[in-house]
Amino acid sequence: MLSRHAEHLFWTGRYVERAADTARMLDVTYHGLLGEPVAEARRGWLDLLDVLHLGRQFADTHQLVDARTVSNFLVVDPTNPGAIVPCVHKARENARSVRELVSTELWESINNFWLELQVRDLARDLDQQPYELYGLVRRRCQEVAGTATETMPHDDGWRFLLLGSMLERAEMTCRLLNVRFAPFTEGEDELGFHQAVHVLKSASASEAFRRAHPAAMTLENVIEFLLMSPTFPRSVLFCLQSAETELLQLDAPGRLSRALRVLGRRRADLEFADVGELLAGDIHAFLDEVQNDVRRAAELVAVQFFRHAEEFAVFHSLETIA
Amino acid sequence: MTTDLFDGYAPDDFFDEVFTEDASVRPHYEDLVARLRSFTPTELARRERLRDAAFRSAGITFTVYGEDEGVERTFPMDLLPRIIPAAEWSEIEVGLIQRVTALNRFLDDLYVGERAAVRDGIVPAWLLSSSDGFRREAFGVPVPRGARCLVAGIDLVRDAEGTYRVLEDNVRNPSGISYVLENRAAMTRVLPNLFGSLRVRPVDDYGITLLDALRHVAPAAAGDPTVVLLTPGVHNSAYFEHAFLARQMGVELVEGRDLVVDEHVVYMRTTRGLQRVDVIYRRVDDAFLDPVVFRRDSMLGVPGLLAAARAGNVTLANAVGNGVADDKAVYAYVPDLIRYYLGEEPILPNCTTYLRWDDDQRKAVLDRLDQLVVKPVAESGGYGLCIGPAATDAELAKVAEQIEANPRNYIAQEVVSLSRHPTLVDDHLEGRHVDLRPFVLTGEKTTVIPGGLTRVALRRGSLVVNSSQGGGSKDTWVLRDDDAKVDDGDEVT
Amino acid sequence: MRLDIRYRCAFEYGALVHESQNELRACPVSDTRQTLLGYRVTTSPASRVFSFEDYWGTRVDTFGVREPHIYLEVVAEATVETKSTPLLTTSPMFEALRGPAFVEEHWEYLERTPHADWNGKLAAEAQSQIDLTGPEVVSATLGIHRRVGALLSYRPGTTYVGVDVDEVLERGEGVCQDYAHLAVAMCRSVGIPARYVSGYLFTDRDDTGEDVDGDEVVVQTHAWFEAAIPGVGWLALDPTNRQAVGLRHVKIGHGRDYDDVSPLRGTYSGPRNATLEVSVEMRRLAAVTSAQAQQQQ
Repeated sequence: MLSRHAEHLFWTGRYVERAADTARMLDVTYHGLLGEPVAEARRGWLDLLDVLHLGRQFADTHQLVDARTVSNFLVVDPTNPGAIVPCVHKARENARSVRELVSTELWESINNFWLELQVRDLARDLDQQPYELYGLVRRRCQEVAGTATETMPHDDGWRFLLLGSMLERAEMTCRLLNVRFAPFTEGEDELGFHQAVHVLKSASASEAFRRAHPAAMTLENVIEFLLMSPTFPRSVLFCLQSAETELLQLDAPGRLSRALRVLGRRRADLEFADVGELLAGDIHAFLDEVQNDVRRAAELVAVQFFRHAEEFAVFHSLETIA
Repeated sequence: MTTDLFDGYAPDDFFDEVFTEDASVRPHYEDLVARLRSFTPTELARRERLRDAAFRSAGITFTVYGEDEGVERTFPMDLLPRIIPAAEWSEIEVGLIQRVTALNRFLDDLYVGERAAVRDGIVPAWLLSSSDGFRREAFGVPVPRGARCLVAGIDLVRDAEGTYRVLEDNVRNPSGISYVLENRAAMTRVLPNLFGSLRVRPVDDYGITLLDALRHVAPAAAGDPTVVLLTPGVHNSAYFEHAFLARQMGVELVEGRDLVVDEHVVYMRTTRGLQRVDVIYRRVDDAFLDPVVFRRDSMLGVPGLLAAARAGNVTLANAVGNGVADDKAVYAYVPDLIRYYLGEEPILPNCTTYLRWDDDQRKAVLDRLDQLVVKPVAESGGYGLCIGPAATDAELAKVAEQIEANPRNYIAQEVVSLSRHPTLVDDHLEGRHVDLRPFVLTGEKTTVIPGGLTRVALRRGSLVVNSSQGGGSKDTWVLRDDDAKVDDGDEVT
Repeated sequence: MRLDIRYRCAFEYGALVHESQNELRACPVSDTRQTLLGYRVTTSPASRVFSFEDYWGTRVDTFGVREPHIYLEVVAEATVETKSTPLLTTSPMFEALRGPAFVEEHWEYLERTPHADWNGKLAAEAQSQIDLTGPEVVSATLGIHRRVGALLSYRPGTTYVGVDVDEVLERGEGVCQDYAHLAVAMCRSVGIPARYVSGYLFTDRDDTGEDVDGDEVVVQTHAWFEAAIPGVGWLALDPTNRQAVGLRHVKIGHGRDYDDVSPLRGTYSGPRNATLEVSVEMRRLAAVTSAQAQQQQ
């Protein structure tokens, strides 16, 4: 397929996933912080901005840190490329650029999602019924993903779409773990029930976790689950495995591309890791490494598959100078 | 039946497509009118909403320029179809094939031939080389089988007598075919029972016909040619159509940056390496095709593309430089070109046209500006049009000034009192002016898609039907030859 | 006069570039004044050259280098035999310029073009020459030619293509294409069809500043103009050197202005800061009989 099309599909997948993950985290943060004292709430919102690597950008333009300003920043702010509405817009633009490749159903589900956000009174939603809005975003994103799976041929185009969303999700889950567990690895050894539920919910993982670990909600268990569960579709390991599977199909047979090597090494590492050892060591450094590898893999995918002409071709005209 | 949709409908002094002068329904519309009468206005309004929802959700939009950032709009389709009986259509069809055949001959002769029409004084050399659409850079660039106008859109209007006349030729990059196909799809979804017993000729094989034509003009060396559609990109006003056609044909929709030229061969960049391209259905204007040859600032084109075409390694459709035939001053010579190249009398007449570089003609025209239509020769889409009877004194004065300053750039035509067709306005029908853009494809032979795009001026009294100027469209039904509903009683006597 | 010409153009990009696509117009034309005896183009990195004759009758060599490269050299080598031009014997009057057939045939060379547009001042300069010479086409053309030589002084590197002739006139200095564009614009402003010519000049002046040994010079490409004389043909004049075009001038081609015959144009993908080196080496060959010339071909 065309390199550019592959790139658009890849980013469609990434942006839809980003919008969904952001909505998830906003939802849980918002409801987790209801009734908390102002200082606690402020701390909670700043944590969320850190997870999303948007803390500095937010601080540059905002003084007040509360539910309203942060939610607004993360949902509608057009200057924030990570905000939900701009993400959906970019997902739509990317899909529109490959309109002839995505199924009509998939296009309509993305386009209708975008149109729905356009006609909604988002300010009112954020004020009065954020739960409904976040639920809507999550459901629409799931609908997009589901429609893609059900209506697109599972060919290279679909693989790039999936690859994009898997790499995005792997990174988001790493970020979530990295920031959420900061206070507890700095001395406290008991993970608060509330906090753990919070993290699991952000990853839509609480039900699946309880089934896997009905008895003990320990720090170790929660980290292990989100990092290494081989079956839970939002765990880092699961995302890397899926990305690897798709990449293997995209590569020429018998060839191990650089992106595949990076992902495969990291996947193997996670597969055989011991969470106790990780916690005894520097878990944050480890999560950073994982994120770096995911980013590196995305860059290598771009180099291998998406390379097209530079933005401009320079004109030169030779002048007679006699 | 409650209110009759046709109550109060008056054809006035225009040629009406549905009603004769004595207000009786033309035979080929009888079935449709009867069926329409069974609908209440409320029911029709509901169908309209269905249609709008279908269009918006499918993203059938075009971009209007001149407004902020280019606004996406849906192109309104009127629910009342236009019907053309078989006998009438076959006459149009022959006329269109004749005209496009002559245009192909003329353009091929001009760019790679001996320029016979110029040599023999049929059309002045200076008129051609002074045309905005003339491309010196395309001199000597071959097109297999001379199919330079692979896709042509010939705009027809019907005058007060009901005679079809050619209003203008569009042989650069005519757009609108996607609306023809989508309109039909929408009609069958929204008002399926309207078709009744009428046997309407299908249009949905357009994609296949177009692909066939494109494959037919591939360089001889290409065994199983790879065809692509080159678009300026998602921000182009006709992007929807580009994507639509690529899908219909099952070919890649590429942008300039997806292509690269190596040793005068064109390739596309894919995730599995370079893949050779043989035919490019390009919807990028000449001036943006190749920055080595044309506009240096163009990021839409492909460096080296024209040399590749010249070397015969790739075919560009439509051919570069066709704009000279779209020139509205050259248009005035097309009947002569038909006689010259084909030795036949033109079947479809032109509209009466005055050229302005002749001093006497110009003066006569300037005196009658308020009765004529003045058009810039190089524009399309209704931009820059001045309709004398509707213009203010200030507008007329400005046009007169422009003509004096640059007579070559304008033509004047007698106002054609375009035919009208009943059109749904709120809850009743009113007559609105219509034209017709049939699409003509040239591959192995020249063929016409049945019907085409009927454009309708939605504003009362307006003669401008262009989508960019607030026009809408109608599904256009060409009836089958063997249809019992068809007879020759259509002529106004 | 028989001349060997070696046109060389070299780009150093300073970084890897790719997807270079080019058009070269360096091949001497064959016409009544000169005969091309041999020509070839080579590039480094090597590329496939595809050649054709453009609308104006100029040979164009197209070539591209897709693979990454840091250096690109183009060499065009030609051998050409120039002949002397017969002197003009008729001198038509201005009325002849207005004959419909003449105007129609030459209208492209009467229009304003981007590099040969004119304002009132420029037109007045041209008119003043006709006031001196009278309405007689050859004298008027020669008058304009001399006037251009007087209005401008030669300053290498003073302009680049893109400066309007009005501005050139204002500055009073320029290089050969400025002279040619100014002459073209002045002719057209009074209704004399005129075209821009690109070519080579075998000259005594050497860019190296060294004494020329007489048979070999290193120069640059050159430009002059031609005016259409009713009933006669094209009168070729070199205002930069204030002389008629003769045996030492080798024509590549002509057009409405520089843009129609620019020696090299193209695109590449990569950083813009390329350095460009152009040279033209010309060597005068011993006179050969025409039979020998045929053999060499």
